[in-house]
Amino acid sequence: MTIKSLLSTASLAFVIAAFSAGAQAQIAIGHLADYSGGTSDVGTPYGQAVADTFAWVNKNGGVGGKQLNVDTNDYGYQVPRAIALYKKWSAPDGKVAAIMGWGTADTEALTGFLAQDKIPDLSGSYAAALTDPEGVSGKAKPAPYNFFYGPSYSDSLRAMLIWAAEDWKAKGKSGKPKFVHMGANHPYPNAPKAAGEAMAQELGFEVLPPLVFALTPGDYSAQCLSLKSSGANYAYLGNTAASNISVMKACKTAGVEIQFLGNVWGMDENAAKTAGDAANGVIFPLRTAVSWGGDAPGIKTVMEISKISDPSGKVYRPVHYIAAVCSALYMKEALDWAAKNGGATGENVAKGFYQKKDWVPAGMEGVCNPSTWTDKDHRGTLKVDLYRTKVSGATDGDLNDLMAKGTIKLEKVKTVELPRKAELLGW
Amino acid sequence: MAGPALIPAGDFRTSYAADTTIFPTTTSRNFAIAGVLLLCLAPQFFSGYWLSILIQIGIFSIAALGLNILVGFTGQISIGHAAFFLLGAFTSAYISNNAPIPVFFAIPLAGLVTALVGLIFGIPAARLKGLYLVIATLAAQYILLDFFSRAEWFSGGSVPASANPFSIFGYTLRGDKQYFYVVLAYVLASFILVTNLMRTRDGRALVAIRDHYLSAEIMGINLTKYRTLSFGLAAFFAGIAGALYAHYQLVVSQEGFGIERSILFLAMIIIGGTGSIMGTLMGTAFVVLLPEGMEFISHYLKGGAVDKALSLNTNITFLREIAIGVIIIAFLMFEPDGLAHRWRQIKAYWKLYPFSH
Repeated sequence: MTIKSLLSTASLAFVIAAFSAGAQAQIAIGHLADYSGGTSDVGTPYGQAVADTFAWVNKNGGVGGKQLNVDTNDYGYQVPRAIALYKKWSAPDGKVAAIMGWGTADTEALTGFLAQDKIPDLSGSYAAALTDPEGVSGKAKPAPYNFFYGPSYSDSLRAMLIWAAEDWKAKGKSGKPKFVHMGANHPYPNAPKAAGEAMAQELGFEVLPPLVFALTPGDYSAQCLSLKSSGANYAYLGNTAASNISVMKACKTAGVEIQFLGNVWGMDENAAKTAGDAANGVIFPLRTAVSWGGDAPGIKTVMEISKISDPSGKVYRPVHYIAAVCSALYMKEALDWAAKNGGATGENVAKGFYQKKDWVPAGMEGVCNPSTWTDKDHRGTLKVDLYRTKVSGATDGDLNDLMAKGTIKLEKVKTVELPRKAELLGW
Repeated sequence: MAGPALIPAGDFRTSYAADTTIFPTTTSRNFAIAGVLLLCLAPQFFSGYWLSILIQIGIFSIAALGLNILVGFTGQISIGHAAFFLLGAFTSAYISNNAPIPVFFAIPLAGLVTALVGLIFGIPAARLKGLYLVIATLAAQYILLDFFSRAEWFSGGSVPASANPFSIFGYTLRGDKQYFYVVLAYVLASFILVTNLMRTRDGRALVAIRDHYLSAEIMGINLTKYRTLSFGLAAFFAGIAGALYAHYQLVVSQEGFGIERSILFLAMIIIGGTGSIMGTLMGTAFVVLLPEGMEFISHYLKGGAVDKALSLNTNITFLREIAIGVIIIAFLMFEPDGLAHRWRQIKAYWKLYPFSH
């Protein structure tokens, strides 16, 4: 072997060693995004925001001096693909410190594995079954490593039903109001069904048999005709916006007089623009204190993060984008705590979520709602801000203009502070 | 349809044993044995990612093999294969969760149950041909999927069902490294079984039906019996593969096993070569590796010049799906006999090198 080849071998070995040392100085994060599946309409802004936020964190020094190595994958809202990715992320040679998850079906399928491998998962699923870390309530399996930011699907629905009962009285109508649960036969729309129907009964609603419609947009005239013939007054839409719009439009055409209650993924500015006046008057919960362009100190941070994928700063970001920025920044601060207290392992990151009370990530004041997680209760917040979409006029043109002109407005109607009842944990 | 019938001139056999041999030469046999031995070492050298790819190729190739019996050897068609795959997965999970039967036995049991259901769906299907058969198998797909989404006692309804890890007499296998050997054993057993099946009277009856069903019937082959049997066999291997998949993932969800997956199974055997056992494995490897390769390319493109120029952002994933479709179409146009045929040509080229024309 000549000196030259010896030298090149040595330098190659050095480069490899330096590279692997560099790789070790990163914190690996798994990110499940739905850009092409059944919930891609809301999954795209959410996933984009998670990716943008972590890129912004990296630009500003990372976590504890280490860069985040975020593995973003579009899994098309399919459980098997999520599991295949999880296998990659939980393997000893590539174990991640945390996962930014997405759907209810895949998050619930992963819950047991997450607990076994001690990897925290901050999901886009707000199913109440993920809020019981010890499984003491007996309503759900223990989910010690599952987190999410915002009120659970069940709590949101409870708050909307409280509003609906008041609305019924305020309108001076007599008799029992009729409530119907609508959504696909899928874990996500089904998650709050039992809890919502129980609450509706308690509040004096007549609960009608649930109506099924698919997660994808389609022709749902049949569902609207059943709504009309059953005389339902309040309907919960359990799917994401694109599919819900189909129902609203079909019902508008069929002339159904009904108050729709959307879930957190069920309505946003893009959906209101597409649906036009069919979306007028829908009640839905907002997870952040303000929406895009709102008046809060933290909105400046959101604008900066948005510039990562939109340097022009002209793109209007819907509510899901801002909620995702909050989610990713909670994860970032939990990672921060873990990095300072024994290293960013999954176990430490989970503990990082328990460190603060009424916690708002730094720089997000006035945007993210204060949240508290404890090792006994993963209901981050029980406060539900209810908004109503107001569409006045044609919704053609740029969303920025429509929002600025007030053609599309999100009006706050009520804030419901639900009591933290132990018997409702995990349900 | 490239089959063993295409034997070049001058290549003749002098005994029945030589005519039905699996490996034409000692070298090819030694290569196959060496390949299997090398695969046994794979868990020591491959990372978790590549191991999971190998396991997926193994599992899906068993299901594709079943479909190849039906499509490639019997000349029938099925676009409901994914539903049988899923039935095997749910059955094995259900058996091992609810009965004191270890997973080791639950997998073959699931195969048998799926075969029985396959036979039932095969009865009407065996009397239909062409497009009518396509519609009949499509119905099987939807009937089974609808059953899974409603039968909460069996499949958990809309919530994914959980499956136990592979176990035998109190000893539990955990992790891909150990499970790889289970899949390898099943792949070997299935491929040897089907290769041998095609050398028997029943196997030749299936091929006769494919080549000319009227002549086959005149020669005394019971068409209905063999067509139904072919459906049962196809379902059996789909069930085995599904069961292996269930205990690999530990979760069974019906998502991703709709008609698209059935078409993908068909793509595997068409790309590999209908009526070729070796081709089944090649086609499966191709179909499993293609999205992974595209994923790699789209990761590489992300944030790069192309991404920025076309402002793809999150749409980059659609680029992947489109590319997969284009590659499959190109394959069907330029390589209609499948990878098995191309492989034979490559072998012939090197055999005669440097004198091939």
